[in-house]
Amino acid sequence: MGKALFHVLVAAMLVFLLAPVLLVIPMSFSADKVLAWPPSGFSLKWYAAMLEERGLAEAARNSLVLALVVTTATLAIAMPAALAIDRWRFAGRDAILALLTAPLLLPTIVLALALLIIFVGAGLLGTWPGLVLAHMLVTLPYGVRVLSTSLSTLPASVEEAAASLGAPPSSVFRRVTLPLMVPGLVATCAIVFLVSFDEVVISLFIVGPQLVTLPVALFRYVESRTDPLVAAVSTLLVVFTLAIVLILDRAVGLRRAVGK
Amino acid sequence: MSDAHLVLEALEKRFGAGPPAVAALSLAVQKGELLGLLGPSGCGKTTTLRMIGGLAEATAGRILVAGHDVTTLPPHKRDMGIVFQNYALFPHMDVAGNVAFGLEMRKQSRAEIAAKVERALAMVHLDGLGHRRPRELSGGQQQRVALARALVIEPSILLLDEPLSNLDAKLREEMRTEIRDIQKRLGITTIFVTHDQVEALAMCDRIAVMRAGSLEQLGTPFDIYESPATPFVADFVGRINRLDGARDGDGDILAGPLRLRAAKPGPAGRVTVMMRPHRLHIATDAIGPEWNSAAGTIRRATYVGDVLACEVDCAGAMLTVERHTHPGQPIPREGEAVNLAWRVSDTLAFDA
Repeated sequence: MGKALFHVLVAAMLVFLLAPVLLVIPMSFSADKVLAWPPSGFSLKWYAAMLEERGLAEAARNSLVLALVVTTATLAIAMPAALAIDRWRFAGRDAILALLTAPLLLPTIVLALALLIIFVGAGLLGTWPGLVLAHMLVTLPYGVRVLSTSLSTLPASVEEAAASLGAPPSSVFRRVTLPLMVPGLVATCAIVFLVSFDEVVISLFIVGPQLVTLPVALFRYVESRTDPLVAAVSTLLVVFTLAIVLILDRAVGLRRAVGK
Repeated sequence: MSDAHLVLEALEKRFGAGPPAVAALSLAVQKGELLGLLGPSGCGKTTTLRMIGGLAEATAGRILVAGHDVTTLPPHKRDMGIVFQNYALFPHMDVAGNVAFGLEMRKQSRAEIAAKVERALAMVHLDGLGHRRPRELSGGQQQRVALARALVIEPSILLLDEPLSNLDAKLREEMRTEIRDIQKRLGITTIFVTHDQVEALAMCDRIAVMRAGSLEQLGTPFDIYESPATPFVADFVGRINRLDGARDGDGDILAGPLRLRAAKPGPAGRVTVMMRPHRLHIATDAIGPEWNSAAGTIRRATYVGDVLACEVDCAGAMLTVERHTHPGQPIPREGEAVNLAWRVSDTLAFDA
């Protein structure tokens, strides 16, 4: 009896969490002119219309490039940072770790406003460097956290064994540390990429007329129109995200990559 | 001393303030010798091993290998094979890859590496398992891989850090003889860290007993067991009875109700008297002058198959007696009155 109730509860929660996402998929195949449920008929016309929408296509390309650049730059900084935090016991180590995590705890809107104020003066509004910097503020904490977690699970004796076998520090890193960090690196890339690709609050403040990201473009589209085109884009995004998560799971095992 | 292969000179390791983890440790190890570093956890034995291997920096003193000072050399230039307590195999490489790693670092040819890896795996009886991953192996097999990996580079010195402590009792005994055989065959100078006195006694040419960062006694297993230099060594290596007493002007020792004589004479004053339980006998015959004796009552008899241990209350002094069991000999009852006897030569006295 208790078990049955538990199953019902879990099912209800899953429906609650997934229903809005899943609802988008049938709506994207709607033949209607406005977003309405249930659709009066089904068609592929909104997928066709989506391809015609120049602004969205460009925004999608921007978001893709932005997410790739942010991922690369985040890795370049998070990797040495995580190594330093995990391997060295230096003064202020805990403070740095706390500082790196702080952006996750602040309300995003506060960060966005702060960035807006700073970027206006620096002339970074609506520019690529501005967007990259703004996104990295959010992605770096994730990167450092996930990487230092994956580093801390490596036994130090494995690296010591390599050194004792004649491997200089560079070889130890290349032949032992780095290969063992691959799951953590893949997880970091996927998480950072998705965080940047989905980021909307901060982007909303930073983007300019010449440079718009996909979430912002979608947001603005919905403000002015209510046709099922957004549902078509959303469906594609869901599929895209799922693909990344699946690749991640296949490559390293999701639980191992994200959790301790 | 001059022809020693490994020499530690007043080696010291401090971690921040407080007493040093290793203090003024001096040792000389002969070529081909297996020296055990024995002591309780926290005595500095592993720290000493790590300093020899270059994994920990010495804060003072020198380490010499074949006359050359290696104190400040990084580990990858020390040419020492280390077997870690948790084996520390490379999980992303197969067994052959693990064993080949050190040879690859030495830039040897592929053919040479393949041949040496095969020979090393055969030596530890792992032929044909070269393509397995470490996690697919049992604990004992992983241990053999770790040993093969450390030995294949033909290091000048082999360092073993509690290599048997993660194995079950039966396998531990098997690996004990196997490691010793290989070590003797290769004639490789070896430092063996352990907290297990039986392991140390069974495997080592000499044992260095450590306590709180210092060398307590250095000697052969026989010396360490039969002539412990301090009560600590006597207590740590093997089981022992301990009585506190005082020596009078005649050299007799009064320990509670007992009047005893010890193997070696000493000045009058407070002493600690120690006897191995299996050197005590439940006496049936009259005893000679070379024996100590005590009358008492059996408080507890513990039968563990091959050994029978009796705790005997000798007017307040508790003594444990151990003997091998025979099917013909009855197990003593609790409460039975007995006479204990043991040789004066088996009575160790330490001035307090």
